[in-house]
Amino acid sequence: MRVAGLTALALAALAILPLFVHSNYVLSIAISGFIFVVCAAALNLIYGFAGLLSFAQLGFWGIGGYAAAIAVVDGKLGFAASVMFAALLAAVIALVTGFPILRTNRHAFVIVTLTFALLCALVARDWISVTRGPLGIPSLPVPTFFGFAFASPTRFYYLAFAFAVLALGILYALVTSRIGLLLKAIKQNEALARSQGISPMPYKLFAFVLGAALTGMAGGIYVFHLRIVDPTFLDFYYMQTFLIFVVLGGAGSFWGVVIASALMVALPEALRFTNDLRMVIYGFVLVVAMLVMPRGIAGVFHDRRLNALRAKLA
Amino acid sequence: MEISLTYFLQLTVNGIVLGLLYGLIAVGLALIFGVMEIVNFAHGEIVMVGAFAMMFALPLFALGYWPAALVAMLVTGALGLLLYELLLARIERSEFERSILVTLGISMILLYGMQYLFTATPRLVDTNLGFEGFELGDIRITWIRCVAAFAALAAFVALGLILRFTQFGLAMRAIAQNRDAALMIGIKPRQVARNGVMVATALCGLAGAALAPIQSVQPAMGQALIFKAFALTVIGGLGHMGGALVVAIMLGLIESWSAAFTDAVWQEASVFIVMIVIVLVRPEGLFGGKRVRLG
Amino acid sequence: MTLLEIAGLSKAYRGIHAVRNTSFRVEQGTITGLIGPNGSGKTTTIDCITGFQQADAGRIRLEDRDISDLPPQRIARAGLLRTFQTVRIYDDFDLMQNLLAVTAPFADVTGWDMVLRRRRFREAHRQAARRAQEAIDLVGLTRLIDAPAAILSYGQKKLLALAATMMTNPKLVILDEPVAGVDPTRVNDIAELLRRINRSGTTFLIVEHNVEFITNLCDHVLVLDQGRLLAEGAPKAIRTDVRVLDAYLGRERQAERDPAGLQ
Repeated sequence: MRVAGLTALALAALAILPLFVHSNYVLSIAISGFIFVVCAAALNLIYGFAGLLSFAQLGFWGIGGYAAAIAVVDGKLGFAASVMFAALLAAVIALVTGFPILRTNRHAFVIVTLTFALLCALVARDWISVTRGPLGIPSLPVPTFFGFAFASPTRFYYLAFAFAVLALGILYALVTSRIGLLLKAIKQNEALARSQGISPMPYKLFAFVLGAALTGMAGGIYVFHLRIVDPTFLDFYYMQTFLIFVVLGGAGSFWGVVIASALMVALPEALRFTNDLRMVIYGFVLVVAMLVMPRGIAGVFHDRRLNALRAKLA
Repeated sequence: MEISLTYFLQLTVNGIVLGLLYGLIAVGLALIFGVMEIVNFAHGEIVMVGAFAMMFALPLFALGYWPAALVAMLVTGALGLLLYELLLARIERSEFERSILVTLGISMILLYGMQYLFTATPRLVDTNLGFEGFELGDIRITWIRCVAAFAALAAFVALGLILRFTQFGLAMRAIAQNRDAALMIGIKPRQVARNGVMVATALCGLAGAALAPIQSVQPAMGQALIFKAFALTVIGGLGHMGGALVVAIMLGLIESWSAAFTDAVWQEASVFIVMIVIVLVRPEGLFGGKRVRLG
Repeated sequence: MTLLEIAGLSKAYRGIHAVRNTSFRVEQGTITGLIGPNGSGKTTTIDCITGFQQADAGRIRLEDRDISDLPPQRIARAGLLRTFQTVRIYDDFDLMQNLLAVTAPFADVTGWDMVLRRRRFREAHRQAARRAQEAIDLVGLTRLIDAPAAILSYGQKKLLALAATMMTNPKLVILDEPVAGVDPTRVNDIAELLRRINRSGTTFLIVEHNVEFITNLCDHVLVLDQGRLLAEGAPKAIRTDVRVLDAYLGRERQAERDPAGLQ
């Protein structure tokens, strides 16, 4: 119940933030934060719960971004429909590629998903007839929804905020349900899960597809914040960012990843780091975390509780 | 499209040189995987460090190619040692994802760190070999490419000899082929792993030094190389060095030829598509056996 | 009535024949033991029966159903459960979660039911939780029910794995070394527990090295040696069977003569 209370408080605070903060810069950071936290949570579903270290998420992020932009600019679809299209396209591609990819062993899975992401980047750069190549699609129009234009940073803030709440809500409902339990069972000990009647493939595929869809949707919204989509949208930097959030928060911990995302977005800005320096620090965070606290901040708390229990029961 | 024989041969020569350099990188990757079962995401960045080291060392030797290249190899070898002792040695073989994330972190530190220190601007590197070359019939081969190919070949021969005839090399092969058996006969895994990493990173340094005058030097140069190197290592069979080399040369040739023949669009993509297909169909690679092998 | 029938089972790895043309039956309602020296093919046989390995030849039938080519999860859902020699549990889950992971109580619950926490799910969950509590009480781990399974001792983990097989009413439970590494004072308790579960209708096939345990508990014993069925019969008969003694002791005599295994 404490969690519910704190969550409500945080949501309320975020909802009224634009009333007090008028800096476009800060609002822009917050928008990035909302979008990135969804991507991190989606990656957490795939990696932290299903146990699949999938670099393909970067590919779906890019697919979503381009799909939404192309749908609006070339397809003349509305913003909402385009974003839904982005999610759907990502999901379909995830479904089709998921089948063969999820069957491979650990080593191969990582490398194939990595290659998939690189392929998407190459396609973005080289399939000029569709993606406009290296120049990308600039001057994306302001997103509108039934005539309401998200023209100002404040309005876009609420759009991103609503999306984040919705997406995280879906993920929360999922990971705290039995499906989350079964995913974790499969991740921990697939042979045991099978001997207990669990079929791993449908669950893994489901996580893979949902993760792709949510990330595609996030990408589709984010390009309208950037107002441009080009091959740099598939820069590895995004994947590294999502990974850091998951690793630091603790793969497999919903709240850990959400809180870590918020911190990692806010802190570097507060400390006024340049982009490069921020990434260097992310790199250090990743290395240190992997050596010292491989299960993230959530893992540290978990281990403390474990030791306390051990002492109590000994 | 009319392609003259000369042009084709020119492309072939360039392709072989490129392939040999890819090979240096891929073989190092395979070596590290063979002795540690770690996929080194920072491998490309180590090549980049080698290139930068070459760039900074050249003026110290009046642009002398060989001394500067040697310095580059020493720098990256030392870097490899440092990374191994501080970080890689602490990761268990079974923790595959953890090793990926650690090396990913290292790659980020190196890449963005170099970018922060030296900006992303590409720099041209000049050596005492200049940009002249010699003619072979109608084909022109620059000295820097010629020397690069020679250096790469020499490195492969040296590596081959080391693996076959020295205690050091045999130990590495033993660990890669059957770790438990190797441990039982007293081979020290830490030592072998450390040596393997140092050899692999030294090869990176050589590749970086050789690439520096051919391509320009910039912090992001490792990124483009590394993913191809992964592709090669996987297609050849993770841990299989001979396989990585063969595939590397093929890749160099294909890239060089397809630049002329096909639309650039699918040139790079085709490599990756081939790789995905091979990994899905034959996960142990073209040359790999059930176990990872060296050579 | 024959519950499990193995016919002509064979499995080889790289030229080593782990199981050679083995055939046997397990009758319903019995507690059947499967013993044999190390390397006799016991675990391979179990793996083939439960779908974790694909046999090279032979058929496996559970009641009237051919399960030879089914994947492990289908075999489990058909009512054939197993435990593992290297004890497998979910380290990060607490004991209750460990048992709730078992599918059988949730067989009719759909994914939507689970996510939306609909009535069908809540009912199944309530019953499963009750069952889990009973199972944990039965194996004597009540005190630790909320503890993460990682802190259990080896023997306690084995008990947990056993409890997991009690979440449903399986037709056949195959136990792979259920008392190896367990506190000797608890072994009899476990035997008693197994008898109790057996009386309520579960058939057992137990792989064990502890010959005394097998002799006291089992109605029927199968002996494997070098991949073949060497002998079978009542426990008393097996204990004094010359061929069985030779298989076990012969190895010892051989080991005395030739410790390095060179001959």
